Amino acid sequence: MARMKFLCDAERCIECNGCVTACKNEHEVPWGVNRRRVVTLNDGLPGEKSISVACMHCSDAPCMAVCPVDCFYKTSEGVVLHDKDLCIGCGYCFYACPFGAPQFPQDGAFGMRGKMDKCTFCAGGPEADNSVAEFKKYGRNRLAEGKLPACAEMCSTKALLGGDSDVIADIYRNRVLKRGKGSEVWGWGTAYGKPEKGATPPAGAKS
Amino acid sequence: MNDKLSRRKFFAAVGAGGVAAAAAAVVANKGSDERQAETGQAGRQGQGYQLTEHVRRYYETTKV
Repeated sequence: MARMKFLCDAERCIECNGCVTACKNEHEVPWGVNRRRVVTLNDGLPGEKSISVACMHCSDAPCMAVCPVDCFYKTSEGVVLHDKDLCIGCGYCFYACPFGAPQFPQDGAFGMRGKMDKCTFCAGGPEADNSVAEFKKYGRNRLAEGKLPACAEMCSTKALLGGDSDVIADIYRNRVLKRGKGSEVWGWGTAYGKPEKGATPPAGAKS
Repeated sequence: MNDKLSRRKFFAAVGAGGVAAAAAAVVANKGSDERQAETGQAGRQGQGYQLTEHVRRYYETTKV
């Protein structure tokens, strides 16, 4: 069984925000909700890196673990989805998610939170595939149409890879082997490790 | 007498029809349960990822 994953190649991402626009357009996401966004590290400095971030459809998803009403579920392909009919908009998932994926549309005055919205890997929700109800709540179900997420398909430099994890891992591995670099941005050392001895971060660098 | 017999036949036929309908419903339900077990989502998920020509072409474009 194929497992769906996203992977962003930081050597290729040019911060064009095409993925963000494609997602917004495809699902008619309301104003103020960003299912996907591009994050740039060391912006404006030599060697800046950008990556496109959305729900990573974690194998052991913390949002699923903390949800008090158990509105999350995972498809057989590893796509983490949620049921908006069960969601109470408490925001626990937002605090649990390391990627800031869960979004909350404004619902009424004084910043009242609506039901959580997030990337669905273009796989819709619990409603019938490609039904009007599914589109209204979760956007288009491209997976059921035999397609892949719009963000990945729209990416002009093919920095954002999406699809069967075995296939995209192979594509990324071949790229790294061919150019001899580019995998450094990923891994535990990058996310949580300390800087190497003697290495000085560029002036004004932030992580 | 003939009337009685025909009425009996009528009710017997209705009874047999009912049993057949109930059996058909059980079989149909079983089929839907099996389909749900295959998807693993108890009716929450329909058709998912498929390696279509569209998807194959996308994978090819990423290799450029």
